[in-house]
Amino acid sequence: MQQVITESKKAFMTGNETAAWAALASGADVMFGYPITPQNEIMHYWTRLAPQYGRGFLQTEDEISAGFTVCGAVQSGKKAFTATAGPGNVLMQEPFGMAEGMRLPLLAIIQQRGGPSSGTVIYSQQEVALTTFGGNGEGWRIVYSTATHQEIYDYVIKGFNAAWKYRFPTFILGDGYQAKMREPLEMYDPETRGIKMIDTYPLIGLDGSITTAEREPQHLCNIYSLEEELYDVVLKNSAEYKSISPEIVEYEERQCEDAEIIILSHGVVSRAADDAVKALRAQGIKAGYFRPITLRPYPEKQLRAAIAKSGAKKLLIAESAYGQLYRLTRQEIYGETIKMETLFMPGVGIIDYDIISKVKSIF
Amino acid sequence: MALVKIALAGEGGQGVQSVAEIIAEAAYNEEKQTIYIPNFGLEQRGGVSIAFIQVSDERIGAPKFNKADVVIALSERAVGRTAHYSDENTLFVYDSGFKVDDTDLPSEAKKIIGLPAIDTANKELHPRVFNIIIMGAVIGLTNIVDFEAAKTALENKLGYKFEKNPDLRELNFKALELGKQMAEESLKEGVQ
Repeated sequence: MQQVITESKKAFMTGNETAAWAALASGADVMFGYPITPQNEIMHYWTRLAPQYGRGFLQTEDEISAGFTVCGAVQSGKKAFTATAGPGNVLMQEPFGMAEGMRLPLLAIIQQRGGPSSGTVIYSQQEVALTTFGGNGEGWRIVYSTATHQEIYDYVIKGFNAAWKYRFPTFILGDGYQAKMREPLEMYDPETRGIKMIDTYPLIGLDGSITTAEREPQHLCNIYSLEEELYDVVLKNSAEYKSISPEIVEYEERQCEDAEIIILSHGVVSRAADDAVKALRAQGIKAGYFRPITLRPYPEKQLRAAIAKSGAKKLLIAESAYGQLYRLTRQEIYGETIKMETLFMPGVGIIDYDIISKVKSIF
Repeated sequence: MALVKIALAGEGGQGVQSVAEIIAEAAYNEEKQTIYIPNFGLEQRGGVSIAFIQVSDERIGAPKFNKADVVIALSERAVGRTAHYSDENTLFVYDSGFKVDDTDLPSEAKKIIGLPAIDTANKELHPRVFNIIIMGAVIGLTNIVDFEAAKTALENKLGYKFEKNPDLRELNFKALELGKQMAEESLKEGVQ
């Protein structure tokens, strides 16, 4: 496959453009998609770039089809991905569920927009519940919530590898702001950073006969005849997801050692939280910063440890949604007695000022 | 430099987003931390278009902001739409040719500045370079990028047009210069 980026180079571009370049650099073979704001330019740039590098693209008739074509492509051994947002993310839950059930290495980039329904075409963090636990499954998903363009680039690369290594559907959870804003980043070839891209492999149509027992049959199933069969599969996959979780979990933590209040946020809001913590510290308020990078699996132990070592009395959860990160966090750290405070600003941006004001009002 | 936040607003087709993009590129080329984000709601289909630009030496936090250091309103409607981005530290700029009610202007501003950008473009240059005059004004008001860096960014963006018609280069650079001068003068003067 033709090398996309020979030497590391700085770039100033939108998050959508970044995602397309990262998929190229990751060696993605094909994208399937259906247009929806604010992710359109991922498709737009991919369709411009892909033919130059011998990669494929198909616009399907809707998001359900886009998701299922990715499910098909990865079974044939192609590194395939899709991107969507809002109502498109809702429609894709069925194929995402299939990817969970059949352990398909699917990668989806989600650029959250306002909801419910068509909401706004702009921005939110309201697709957290949908992306982490959507569908009729058990949430066997790997979800990276990015905050910068550099992270979009880094985690698309990492996401493809996670999908193919662990065989759980993997999500890069961005938002409309990250999609549409321009900011600097560095693009690189993964191999030059010592990142080995996992070789993809067909999941079906393998060589060798199963009748003569040359190999085990591939049993990729999304429906079972017996309750007990499904039960065994769900237990097995749940156990596997649990056992690999510790090596997947990622988080950021700053100044929690002596924090009296820990500010918890994810994605683009964590940038404002970081600024807020610095400003509060400068004013003598001992604030700490905690950010789950993986929303699934959630850095539960790490957050519990941060709470324990700080002895903080309060945990402030700030999000551009009405409690989606809050509910996720609450279930993960069940039993902690720290008082949970909330700053819910669904569908609008949060700046440091908002967080600082909230902290002062409760401190 | 400390963080500078600029909101640029106008009608679709005025080139608000193009100018914002050129300014942001120029700042990036000077190795500064830069974020540029357009508003891209449904108002882009026939409403006021706003560009949010932030430039700093340090890492920049949230992509949008509540209050700007400089607000530039390029249409009468944009004045009312952007007044809330102004506080006591804001330079609020609009075209002196606009018919604007005092109630539309921000109640708080460091300075409210009326610039004859449209008139100057129409009479001295060409209506098409109105947005470049505004770009010059942004630089005159904020110094977020070096003037030469702005010219380079303009060349990068419009070079292919300049190649076909070299007069355009001169026209654009003149517009940039005029806008900068206009803004610098306005800072020296009292409130318009």
